[in-house]
Amino acid sequence: MPGDVTGRALPRVDGRDKVTGRARFAVDVAFPGMLHAAVVRSMAAHARIVGVDAAAAAAGPGVVAVVTAGDLGGLFPRFGHIVADHPVLATGKVRYHGEPVALVVAGTKAEAEDAAATVEVAYEDLPAVLTPPEALARGAPLLHDEESERGDETFGEAHSPRSGTNVAHGVDSGWGDVDAALRGAAAVVETEAHFPMLYAYAMEPYAATARWVGGALEVHTGAQHPFMVRDDLARIFRLPASRVRVVSEYIGGGYGSKSYTKVEPLAAVAALLAGGPVKVVLDVEGSILTTRADPARVRVRTGFADDGGILARDVDIEMDGGAYADNGPLVLAKAAARCQGPYRVPALRVRGRTVYTNTAPSSSYRGFGAPQVTLAGELNMDMAAERLGIDPAEIRRLNLVKPGEELLPGKRPIDADLHADLEMVVQALESRGESRPARQGALRGTAFACSASDAGAYPVSTASVRVLADGSAVVSSGSTEMGQGSRTVLTQIAAQELGMEPADVRVVQGDTGTTPYERTTGASRTTTLTGTAVLRACADARDKLAAMLAESLGCSPAEVTVEPGRAVGPDGRVYAYADVVRRFFGAGAGEVVGLGIVRKEGQFAVLPPFWEIGMVGVSLDVDPDTGVATVDHLVTVGDVGFAINPAAVEGQDLGAATQGLGGALYEELLYDGPQLVNANVVDYRVPRMADMPRRIDTLIAQRGDGVGPYGAKGAGEGALNPIGAAVAAAVARATGRWPDRLPLTPERIWRLVHQPDKEGDDG
Amino acid sequence: MLPDFRLVRPTTLEEALAQIGEDALPYAGGTELFIAMRGRLLQPGTLVDLKRVRGLADIRVDDGWLVVGAAATHDAVAGSEAVREHAPLLADVAPGVGNPRVRAAGTVGGNLCFAEPKSDVVTALVALGAELTLASAEGTRTVPAAEFHRGPYWTVREDRELLTEIRIPPAPDRRGVYVKFQTRERPTVGVALVTDGGSGACRLVVGAVGEVPVSLEFPSLGAVDPAAAAEAVDPVADLTESVEYKRHVTAVMAARAKERLEEAVAGAR
Amino acid sequence: MHASRVRGTVNGVAVDRDVPNRLTLAEFLRDELGLTGTKVSCELEVCGVCTVLVDGRPVSACTFLAVDIDGADVLTVEGLERDGELHPVQEAFIDEFAFQCGYCTPGFLMMSVALLARNPAPSADEIKEYLDGNICRCTGYRPIVQAVLTAAERLRAGAASGTEEARDAREAREASDAG
Repeated sequence: MPGDVTGRALPRVDGRDKVTGRARFAVDVAFPGMLHAAVVRSMAAHARIVGVDAAAAAAGPGVVAVVTAGDLGGLFPRFGHIVADHPVLATGKVRYHGEPVALVVAGTKAEAEDAAATVEVAYEDLPAVLTPPEALARGAPLLHDEESERGDETFGEAHSPRSGTNVAHGVDSGWGDVDAALRGAAAVVETEAHFPMLYAYAMEPYAATARWVGGALEVHTGAQHPFMVRDDLARIFRLPASRVRVVSEYIGGGYGSKSYTKVEPLAAVAALLAGGPVKVVLDVEGSILTTRADPARVRVRTGFADDGGILARDVDIEMDGGAYADNGPLVLAKAAARCQGPYRVPALRVRGRTVYTNTAPSSSYRGFGAPQVTLAGELNMDMAAERLGIDPAEIRRLNLVKPGEELLPGKRPIDADLHADLEMVVQALESRGESRPARQGALRGTAFACSASDAGAYPVSTASVRVLADGSAVVSSGSTEMGQGSRTVLTQIAAQELGMEPADVRVVQGDTGTTPYERTTGASRTTTLTGTAVLRACADARDKLAAMLAESLGCSPAEVTVEPGRAVGPDGRVYAYADVVRRFFGAGAGEVVGLGIVRKEGQFAVLPPFWEIGMVGVSLDVDPDTGVATVDHLVTVGDVGFAINPAAVEGQDLGAATQGLGGALYEELLYDGPQLVNANVVDYRVPRMADMPRRIDTLIAQRGDGVGPYGAKGAGEGALNPIGAAVAAAVARATGRWPDRLPLTPERIWRLVHQPDKEGDDG
Repeated sequence: MLPDFRLVRPTTLEEALAQIGEDALPYAGGTELFIAMRGRLLQPGTLVDLKRVRGLADIRVDDGWLVVGAAATHDAVAGSEAVREHAPLLADVAPGVGNPRVRAAGTVGGNLCFAEPKSDVVTALVALGAELTLASAEGTRTVPAAEFHRGPYWTVREDRELLTEIRIPPAPDRRGVYVKFQTRERPTVGVALVTDGGSGACRLVVGAVGEVPVSLEFPSLGAVDPAAAAEAVDPVADLTESVEYKRHVTAVMAARAKERLEEAVAGAR
Repeated sequence: MHASRVRGTVNGVAVDRDVPNRLTLAEFLRDELGLTGTKVSCELEVCGVCTVLVDGRPVSACTFLAVDIDGADVLTVEGLERDGELHPVQEAFIDEFAFQCGYCTPGFLMMSVALLARNPAPSADEIKEYLDGNICRCTGYRPIVQAVLTAAERLRAGAASGTEEARDAREAREASDAG
């Protein structure tokens, strides 16, 4: 049960570092003699590289080296954890406008960039395919004509490429007889929705600093998964993992976009060939050209009984995966796993494909396929409610699974009370009563939407706890702190379990050289999985303290009790941990190391480790003259089992919902032919402070129904997943017409209001 | 990374005029210039820092005319009592330019000379009938604000000329409003509507939506026709806003400007 | 490489040297002076991450020449702390959970200091208007507004008692969370 430390809003342990500017991010790392690399990017979307003329660059002031693919023989110059299809530098051909072709390394960034501007690359254009339909058309040029190696085998669920096509991964899954069920349905409702191409837009652009020390590689970066990056680098340089060290001290925003390998190989090859430490820092445009998120066209056809009960659902997903696989295939796999929403769907068919196109590569972004399919799925539910004359809350109540019911066959049954969560949203939306829209004549619309995601990724976590001779402790975990608050939550767990003041616990994270293995930090998994590893490490430390004290006292360990903060001997005498350690080692020194391991067994034997619920409500006002939508009321419910740090949960939910509002109302990356035209934050508009909803309710449900520490489940993505759908439905209610795409920019909303049958300029 | 450049820091107008030229660009805040330089759209060999030129940032009243020195920052204009008293429309527009950092460093003159089409300042100045003083080694000339911008990033200023002052004629009975429609970083359309208290004639100026501001005259406030404003502009389509939409919101904003000015005039009676 | 003489102060420490003209203030602070608290992100002056104060005025250090601090006093996030004591704005950001990844935080802190210097009792709307030029991608902004309100209150109440108030307020909040 929760004690003093967990379950309260402990001020973040990284607070002082961050408010003083002392927190060191990848871009702040510096080494003596450090050099700087500038990236030369492709000017063609699909072309053979005929030649690279870097003579002027190589002769530039301060230039130490120019690196192209030709210099990487002897290495395995590709990476990619699902498919190793991503060359470190474009090799033989380029596959997207903006792909790195060469690196110029110089003494200063200015020298490197000045020289990089002089590099001339000659291309022989190949036909380019810029959208999935183009890439899937008969006779379309293939981006990857050779089969690439598999990456990590444990990503098998995401590796089904269709050879001879541009399909990077395909899915064809489901259960039951969908067609029969649809034939028997009272109503079949069809919805097609387009989810835009987004950019996670972390405030910190990609950066990495690499150096070689005695044949071993060390890279300081902002990677969410330093161990995954380590493994990619070890393969590239043909090194044992033990001689590759990847460090992510603090990450300036990840949201999935810093999952897996990005610019680390660039820094590492530059350092190898230049003979000194090299820092690579991308600007915002370069960062967008490194990784963006998956747009999707999703078609949902659901057959309903006349009471609104779902009989069957048929989903088709088409994602634009860009030039390289990165994590795109897993996003599709997860999208497919979330097509039933949080509902009981007796028969389901999901077909989907993520398609290679000559555009920037796509990878993880918060929500991970759920926002895309939830947009279509929840709009579909609201359309069905309208068609059948059923209240939108009622149709959901009828279909939401109950605690203990299966959502996906063979998977963990739902570990949340979705009906109770829905009531929280509905009541919050109603409780404040009908307020008058801020502007006279505004059209108001209110809606809610739900989702359930199989979250937590894969359970492999290890952690260590060292109890020191003075009674303080160091917790070591390969997880990373990207703002979500992992460092603080792990501190709270350890302080609780060891009975220490949080100030006496130090959590060290994200260093493959010194912290134990953590598979990934993402998928909202850290509290549940890494938290459990830390919990177990503390329990192990306590067991060891018991054995140590027993030996010192000459009794059996069974006669000793170790609780958080103290050990009790057979005679009832109480010992501080520090006493136990010092007694055992006899020199007033020493320490005890506890280890914790999480694997796919025990409470994690059945996947997913937990279900992440999305349950949100939105009330907005549309100005019919301009189409501007202003969010008046935002409600989120974080169904987290137990909130180890409630302030952190609320912060994550509001942040996630805000990003969701961004994709719903403002954000979209746009291509004009082969080139991205708005790869900057003036033309790619993210939510600002003035966009804050007037009323915000970030609610937390704690029913102790998680298998994480103290009944906890994860948070961080749930509040984003259904936002797009809630906004779209709210706009539908305000305007009387169903939107079919995001973002709902003012012009798009204006056209919904005024021009129901006319296509806008932007289509 | 900015490209390399020489820097000179004149302390008098004469020195500054001797130094500026095609490859020697004047700057004060540089808020737009440096972005263009970082993007290698401009690579002047020399920059001439105007911040030390005596008097160039002064705001004063001269025989009823409000004279705003070209190197006055938007913040200085927004906080100036003289501007509030003699040209309240300008005092209303200045606090909305960009963001606080742009306003702290950026200047009215720099804004006018860079001639970014999506700008608020020039729209207000055209509505106020402002006159711009261009100085050169050969002397000075005056250009009405309405004629200063020739197109995007293109003004009538010659390379050897410096914009020194913005002069706004006295008009104690003048009332005006500025209505802006902005959903992204730059405004979509800005409408300035002023009425000459005496004759009742109105000038409506629409800026930001086209390449240059467009000015319409109406004999009275009641005659202001938002549809005419929408017809008169030549909107430039954007990534997320079509010509048709921009024309439509121009009419909407013109109507709102008319409404607000009618209220202001009624309130004043 | 052309350079100009710069004589000014940064966080109260005198600077007197030749500085390359092309160096931005952000590059100068970070690379020449090792003050890496000021970050760089959009490089278009719209995100506010690089905000520093020059003679008390907030500027985008990424688009401000280092040589233009000649004759001026510059304040960065590193200059907010005094003798190990956090500035009330820094304390308030911690107490109100007004950051997550922390990358935008120095910029928000400097803008908040600038705001409170010109308006010691801003309303929530005034805070939102002034800080609208800074982007945060993590928090959803609500706790940042609250932090500035809290900081304003404490500054008005006076620095010494403000620290106690902070402690009392924090303890009260934690007690109600645990209950």
